[in-house]
Amino acid sequence: MFLILLVPFFFFLFFLPYRPVSVLLGLKRHYKKRCQGRMRKHVGDLCLQAGMLQDSLVHYHMSVELLRSVNDFLWLGAALEGLCSASVIYHYPGGTGGKSRALRLQGSSLPAEAANRHRPGAQEVLIDPGALTTNGINPDTSAEIGRAKNCLSPEDIIDKYKEAISYYSKYKNAGVIELEACVKAVRVLAIQKRSMEASEFLQNAVYINLRQLSEEEKIQRYSILSELYQLIGFHRKSAFFKRVAAMQCVAPSIAEPGWRACYKLLLETLPGYSLSLDPKDFNKGTHRGWAAVQMRLLHELVYASRRMGNPALSVRHLSFLLQTMLDFLSDQEKKDVTQSLENYTSKCPGTMELLTLPDGLTLPPVPFTKLPIVKHVKLLSLPASLRPHKMKSLLGQNVSAKSPFIYSPIIAHNRGEEKNKKIDFQWVQGDVCEVQLMVYNPMPFELRVENMGLLTSGVEFEALPAALSLPAESGLYPVTLVGVPQTTGTITVNGYRTTVFGVFSDCLLDNLLGVKTSGSTVEVIPALPRLQISTSLPRSAHSLQPSSGDEISTNVSVQLYNGETQQLIITLENIGMEPLETLEVTSKILPTKEKLYGDFLNWKLEETLAQFPLQPGKVATLAISIKAKLDFSCQENLLQDLSDDGISVSGFPLSSPFRQVVRPRVENRPATAPEGSKVGDLSHLKTLEAVLNFKYSGGPGHVEGYYRNLSLGLHVEVEPSVFFTRVSTLPATSTRQCHLLLDVFNSTEHELTVSARRNEELILHAGECQRMAIQVDKFNFESIPESLGENGQFANPKQLEEERQEARGLEINSKLDIHWRIPSLKRSGEASVEGLLNQLVLEHLQLAPLQWDVLVDGQLCDCDAAAACPVGDPVRLEVRLTNRSPRCVGPFALTVVPFQDHQNGVRNYDLQDTVSFVGSSTFHLEAVQPSGQSACLGALLFLYTGDFFLHIRFQEGSRSKELPPSWFCLPSVHVRALGAQA
Amino acid sequence: MAQIAVIAKENYPLYIRSTPMENELKFHYMVHTSLDVVDEKISAMGKALVDQRELYLGLLYPTEDYKVYGYVTNSKVKFVMVVDSSNTALRDNEIRSMFRKLHNSYTDVMCNPFYNPGDRIQSRAFDNMVTSMMIQVC
Repeated sequence: MFLILLVPFFFFLFFLPYRPVSVLLGLKRHYKKRCQGRMRKHVGDLCLQAGMLQDSLVHYHMSVELLRSVNDFLWLGAALEGLCSASVIYHYPGGTGGKSRALRLQGSSLPAEAANRHRPGAQEVLIDPGALTTNGINPDTSAEIGRAKNCLSPEDIIDKYKEAISYYSKYKNAGVIELEACVKAVRVLAIQKRSMEASEFLQNAVYINLRQLSEEEKIQRYSILSELYQLIGFHRKSAFFKRVAAMQCVAPSIAEPGWRACYKLLLETLPGYSLSLDPKDFNKGTHRGWAAVQMRLLHELVYASRRMGNPALSVRHLSFLLQTMLDFLSDQEKKDVTQSLENYTSKCPGTMELLTLPDGLTLPPVPFTKLPIVKHVKLLSLPASLRPHKMKSLLGQNVSAKSPFIYSPIIAHNRGEEKNKKIDFQWVQGDVCEVQLMVYNPMPFELRVENMGLLTSGVEFEALPAALSLPAESGLYPVTLVGVPQTTGTITVNGYRTTVFGVFSDCLLDNLLGVKTSGSTVEVIPALPRLQISTSLPRSAHSLQPSSGDEISTNVSVQLYNGETQQLIITLENIGMEPLETLEVTSKILPTKEKLYGDFLNWKLEETLAQFPLQPGKVATLAISIKAKLDFSCQENLLQDLSDDGISVSGFPLSSPFRQVVRPRVENRPATAPEGSKVGDLSHLKTLEAVLNFKYSGGPGHVEGYYRNLSLGLHVEVEPSVFFTRVSTLPATSTRQCHLLLDVFNSTEHELTVSARRNEELILHAGECQRMAIQVDKFNFESIPESLGENGQFANPKQLEEERQEARGLEINSKLDIHWRIPSLKRSGEASVEGLLNQLVLEHLQLAPLQWDVLVDGQLCDCDAAAACPVGDPVRLEVRLTNRSPRCVGPFALTVVPFQDHQNGVRNYDLQDTVSFVGSSTFHLEAVQPSGQSACLGALLFLYTGDFFLHIRFQEGSRSKELPPSWFCLPSVHVRALGAQA
Repeated sequence: MAQIAVIAKENYPLYIRSTPMENELKFHYMVHTSLDVVDEKISAMGKALVDQRELYLGLLYPTEDYKVYGYVTNSKVKFVMVVDSSNTALRDNEIRSMFRKLHNSYTDVMCNPFYNPGDRIQSRAFDNMVTSMMIQVC
């Protein structure tokens, strides 16, 4: 093959000899040798051309000998080269060149050369030259000897090439042939796999000065150099020279720069710089490459493609540069690159399509996964109010149907695997679903990301793109991407889509490095309605304690006075697309220190449910009454304040509490009152919290068994209204009745009126304390049905007792029916004594098990009304005892003591002259069995007119002491003795 | 002295420092292309016994203005030094000792438990050493 190479410089040689010939005319012998040497060389060339390898070797050898002696260096070099060529043909009959040696020195593109190259016969001739040399010196054995003798060894070939090149280098005009010799030597060395030496030859070739080269030739020269470096395995050098060639294509001296050629050549250098144009290759770990040179190359590619008039290509390359070399770009470079990228994309936006070059190279799309960098992807559950819950079926849902065991480690293991992929919450068809990304901007300037949306599969999904603007070098920045699933099924979030600097990117999570994701697959369940709740109360910023467990969507707050009841109107609006079919309301009162009396929350759902199913956009209302009834008993400190006023309330046997002057207390403690109330206001404000849960469902989701739960937090601040600072009882005139004395303290800052069942209103000024007395019938607690009986068997006796007391309190309270009212605020409420009734008071209020009835003249005498009886006639007195206690009582001895009350504290018991007994004044009652009855009779004779009282006294019997004194509460009988009818 | 480069086993730069900063890219190209020679020399050396291996690779190739010297550690980390050709004071022995110094300093960097092998060298000690070496040569 390298015969082709030889041909051009035969011509060259023919023209050379004339100059030295004229100089050396005088030296004949010298001249003769030179001529002989040159002739031999020429003959050698001809022999080689003719395929007579042996002959050519001999001639070349002789030529070398002759020319060496006369220092004809140019020809000597040529002869040496010829010798090398012939030896190479012998050693490497397959040739030294590659297949694609299209670029040769241009001046010598002869037809013969082409013919030679393509004629297969030529090679065969060279393979076995001995057989063909019929006109050689010695056809038979000498041929073998000659071959061995004349042919150069592989090492010698290189030495001779070196020698030849060194001779050529003596002549400035011989640059071309010197270069050519270098090239040939390199090819030989490449075959010999002696890369280092080859590189030395090439290094030399680089520095050969070729004058007056055309631009095209320069390009070819660099291309060949690149090709040769490639041949000896120096890929980086090869790439370097290819790049130089590419630059040469667009040198400023060229009138029509060949940008296309330049681009093509640049593409060919990519492997040399270990650069691939597929961004996926850069996803594995940190960038490992020669960034400075790679970046330069990419810049050149961008520029070349732009000049080529292919903006799509330059956008692609520039995006690639930005994506892969981001870590190596300086802040200024980042700015410049993005600036130019924006310029390009304004004409031709970057796409996600594969770009195919005319020569078949494809450029994969470059998604900007680093602009911004996504660190964390988290699929968010729907907000608590919209989260779907699965209705529990009758069979326990928790127990897996797969296994009969409640717990098995094998099942747990399987579950763990499943969990890796699927997230344990659901999204709802038609509802906005959110995915949270933690992103940050690595750029030193504000990054504007447009059309950021989700990429999903599995379910028809309407992504709602967002635009965001990230501040320069931001920290982690949460971004929420939203979308609406349009169908049901299993949705997988594959990635996200962005538009940055006019480049569209589809970033798949799988390709992202260092992204933490907690699963990306979620089930989408059928559509459910959406309920919106609005209330008549103001919203509150006060959120309930997190310990409540439920997530509260709305909080409302209300301020109530203790005992007040307020209506809460809840407006339910179906803001979804599905009809609201079912609704369930439950409430949960959060645990509080305060003791709560009565029902805190009360509602009637039936009226609301009558409006169901609620079509989208329709509204229903629900009224809930809030009753804040806390303890009305007084705090310790307040009690102490008030107890020092010296009013003792422990049972004076006052005949009537009405006579007791209701003493306003204000004048007693004017100084302490404001102080005390202030302290009280702060410490007495109590809060009650409750959660109202609205479970609702409807539409296709209901069919599937899902519901939603909406929670309304209720925050009630209870201000104290009235306090009962002290409670006591006074016996009433009737044994069946009793006076309950309550010290009522107005702790509000307003005037307040209190009214009990039958009493008139009592007006209390702010901070005032007054006593009110309420006449009540005594209670027969035994008659209260033990509603808690069914629970009772589990409760211990103490609890049972407490419950009983509570029930009593409730009973008493309902009878008392105490109300308060603040006229200035137009607010009113109840007051309850439940909390402050102690055992003693209860005992007083309790109807004694022994019921005593005193009958005067056959009339029951129990109240203040005096029994009238005529003077002089005996009056029948009957004392009846009904035993309601469970045991047998008696016998008793009763003594009737009459007296007169002078209404001034003096009682006159000395009435022997005015009242006489018919019979004994002492009665005896036999023992009375449980639920038995007994009566004793006597008679009285009033001798004068007047008001008399009869006090029935027990005989101090030993047995009676066992019974509580309250059981022997006998009424004082008031008898008015009147004169005979006149 | 023009440039000192430390190149990882996978042939990407761990550290590059060049004195005239204005023409840095030229040196990048120079060192990058020199890796061909280094690779060639390493593959040629591969047959030699490990303990007999000479780490110093000698002159990789001369250019018009610079000489490029190479050195490779047993873990195939390469040190490349580009030296001004005009500086004749630098003999082979000096270059060799400089490489040894560089190697020692590099070993110190690797001993840092907080250094992640394969990352760019940002050690101040190493940097100072290179600076002193460059001053010494110039």
